[in-house]
Amino acid sequence: MNVETFKYDNRIVRAFAIATVVWGIVGMLVGLLAAVQLFFPDANLNLQFITFGRIRPLHTNAVIFAFVGNGMFMGIYYSLQRLCKARMFSDFISWFHFWGWQSIIVSAALTLPLGFTTSKEYAELEWPIKIAIAVVWVAFTVNLIGTILKRREKHMYVAIWFYLATALTVAVLHVTNSMTMPAGWFKSYSMYAGVQDALVQWWYGHNAVAFFLTTPYLGLMYYFLPKAANRPVFSYRLSIIHFWGLIFLYIWAGPHHLLYTALPDWAQSLGMVFSLMLIAPSWGGMLNGLLTLRGVWDKVRQDPVLKFMVVAVTAYGMATLEGPVMAIKTVNSLSHYTDWTIAHAHSGALGWNGFLTFSMLYFLYPRLYKTQLWSTKLANYHFWIGLLGIMFYIIPIYVAGITEGLMWKQFNKDGFLQYPNFLETIVQIVPMLRLRAIGGTLYLVGVFMMAYNLYRTAKAGEFEPDTEVQAAPLEKTVSSGAHGKLSWHRMLEGKPMIFTVLAVVAILIGGIVEIIPMYLVKENVPTIASVHPYTPLEVLGRDVYIREGCLGCHSQMIRPFRSETERYGEYSKAGEFVYDHPFLWGSERKGPDLAREGGRYPDAWHYNHMDDPRSTSPGSIMPRYPWLLTQKMEMDSLPWRLSALRRIGVPYPAGYENGPAQKDLQAQAEKIVANLKLGSVNAEPDKDIVALIAYLQRLGTDIKNAPVTTAAK
Amino acid sequence: MSNDPKEPLLLDHNYDGIQELDNNLPRWWVWLFYITIIYAAIYLVYFHVTRTGNLSAAEYDQEMKAGAVVKNAAMGKFESGLSTLTPSSDAMVLENGRQSYAKFCAPCHRADGGGLVGPNLTDDYWIHGSNYTDTVKVIWDGVPAKGMITWKTVLKPDEIQSVASYIYTLRGAKLATPGKLPENQTPVKTGPSQFE
Repeated sequence: MNVETFKYDNRIVRAFAIATVVWGIVGMLVGLLAAVQLFFPDANLNLQFITFGRIRPLHTNAVIFAFVGNGMFMGIYYSLQRLCKARMFSDFISWFHFWGWQSIIVSAALTLPLGFTTSKEYAELEWPIKIAIAVVWVAFTVNLIGTILKRREKHMYVAIWFYLATALTVAVLHVTNSMTMPAGWFKSYSMYAGVQDALVQWWYGHNAVAFFLTTPYLGLMYYFLPKAANRPVFSYRLSIIHFWGLIFLYIWAGPHHLLYTALPDWAQSLGMVFSLMLIAPSWGGMLNGLLTLRGVWDKVRQDPVLKFMVVAVTAYGMATLEGPVMAIKTVNSLSHYTDWTIAHAHSGALGWNGFLTFSMLYFLYPRLYKTQLWSTKLANYHFWIGLLGIMFYIIPIYVAGITEGLMWKQFNKDGFLQYPNFLETIVQIVPMLRLRAIGGTLYLVGVFMMAYNLYRTAKAGEFEPDTEVQAAPLEKTVSSGAHGKLSWHRMLEGKPMIFTVLAVVAILIGGIVEIIPMYLVKENVPTIASVHPYTPLEVLGRDVYIREGCLGCHSQMIRPFRSETERYGEYSKAGEFVYDHPFLWGSERKGPDLAREGGRYPDAWHYNHMDDPRSTSPGSIMPRYPWLLTQKMEMDSLPWRLSALRRIGVPYPAGYENGPAQKDLQAQAEKIVANLKLGSVNAEPDKDIVALIAYLQRLGTDIKNAPVTTAAK
Repeated sequence: MSNDPKEPLLLDHNYDGIQELDNNLPRWWVWLFYITIIYAAIYLVYFHVTRTGNLSAAEYDQEMKAGAVVKNAAMGKFESGLSTLTPSSDAMVLENGRQSYAKFCAPCHRADGGGLVGPNLTDDYWIHGSNYTDTVKVIWDGVPAKGMITWKTVLKPDEIQSVASYIYTLRGAKLATPGKLPENQTPVKTGPSQFE
């Protein structure tokens, strides 16, 4: 047999490892800053760039795409080469991927604080960066598939199935959800509007969790856990069923983020039942992880790598049971918009992704540097302080979430809301928000301990840039007759291209069935005759709302419950959002819903409230927005914005943006300035605040003029 | 362990040293999967094929109807006992009343009660009666003909009581700028309010 000699590339693994640690610390620090602002709003130092609404997306993007993203690439570049018995397809692409990804992260860290955002959660980056992401992701996919094609191992191990599904699905999700119309270099409007935009966004958002935070990490678990435990994987057939079940079912579950919203009922029901069907396939992954450890639990007690893995896999199991439970409509009616969602997300992020990443780092560093871990004791301390951090983070936030949910819905015996003032419900949970920040701090301290430990390990050892190995090349001819016993799936594992095509088909079905009818069937969005496009001033105001990240705390979606109608007004209808590019329904309420804010308060109230929320609402945790009072509105880009909106279907007349729009804008601004004067506020008509007030006063007022024309059943 | 000859389920391949067993799927896991699939089918049929179950809008209508019964009963009770009410002097109640006043009443009656579009609330000229219960009635029902809207859809009975109690304290207040002049009417003896 002729044997080839080749080298595994360790440099690229080390590069991604360092990036993982660095961005992990950055992302968590930003998260901590955001958490502190929730009980101490002045922690933004009155700087618009680090105010909650702008750094919340920075935190989520940094943790998901920078920390977990780099962690994923680190693990894949290490394991893929070894599972394929081949060096990566192209060193050039590897480094293009690395530096491309890091530049995207840096550009995110610069643009999000500046307020350049699309406002779509986990897809906030503006269009030039979106294009860069697509290019770099394609490079990664080429490198992945290229390596698989030149493999020296006949069959693809289960880890590789998950890597393939990840690469392809993320590409599909990213491209579909990024369809936007540019209106300047760092401004764009989603091509989709209202209900459709919401559906596409949460199909994306949910599956970003599925295919960025889950499937790649399951793949990594399948490599690193049996390696670290030196045990065979529990069940090959379980791998097969849970892999295909997971990728097929996951895609359908997106609408569970939109239960009891204006999304049509049939889509909500699909989201709910597919979430429930996901329990078993998700738990298949957990079982295969935990049962692999049968017989080596004594080892778990000693080895920090395994310890982190056990907690990670357990957290995965808990989060994937909790997710479907929260997708049950009855539960969701209580949990949605509360901190429960935040607790759920963090049990997944801190437990599953965080701890699995730490275990991989502790596994890899000694191997890359051909030495022992500098201090097992310190790693054990990291484990315990990290676990404590998770507990202190999620338990108070669960309590807070359930408290909020119950208080929002509580009626007194006379049929009136028990807590009609939203602020009462916030004041109640502030102590929990403080405890949460302590939990986050503990977790972060653990990460610093790890960084030091890894640094000392690297110093003590000697880095091996390439690992030289030998293996026989793959035989070209498939001896089909000799392997008569091969199952069909075993055959498939030897045919990466067919495997890939089948996986793509599996992940496309759910999206197609849910998204296409939302466009073609008119009854899904019953029209309302009195709903009109936003005026030019309101468009600029809406863009201020987007820029400041108001939807981080304020929803614009009154759900069909009596408690919400009593508090906010008539529940939101699909037809109200047909000109909303993008939709701004939000996913969390740290302030009241704003869907019917128009006309609720005088203009002057909004002015004073933005200047200092505590002057009008004592005890409020909203940050101050003094810069809105002094910054000029973006008049110059108005023509770009209006014509971009027209191109995606908002019926502004031709030529409106060159003259008439400006005139209308001035007239409306003067009116608001006159109103402000009545409230003894002197403002100039060209400031951001005037535009924002115009937008807020418009919210939800269209429907007051005419009833809904419901489509025939 | 992995080379233990007693592992009959060990498959004959290995990937970078990783081997796989071929254990059967745990029975309870398989049943869990089946049950969720069956539940999903039943759920979809129940709500979307036979349309037996109530969807959000129908559920909402029922909830609103049931709520209206409770609420209307409470409001009816308040209305029938309205003539026996007396103003509160509790500091908490008055503070709540002041806040509601600033938010809802001040735009027409001026922040200090001196009157703007609506009449002066600090003088001796009361168009619709000077008793405390008259004030409550006016807030509750409104005087639509004169532009005073009904507040029973906005404020709860106890909120109306607190704002009326607060207004009661405004009587005879010394205003920094003169209040709105009385309309064509005779003075009504209000007497010193209990807070003077």
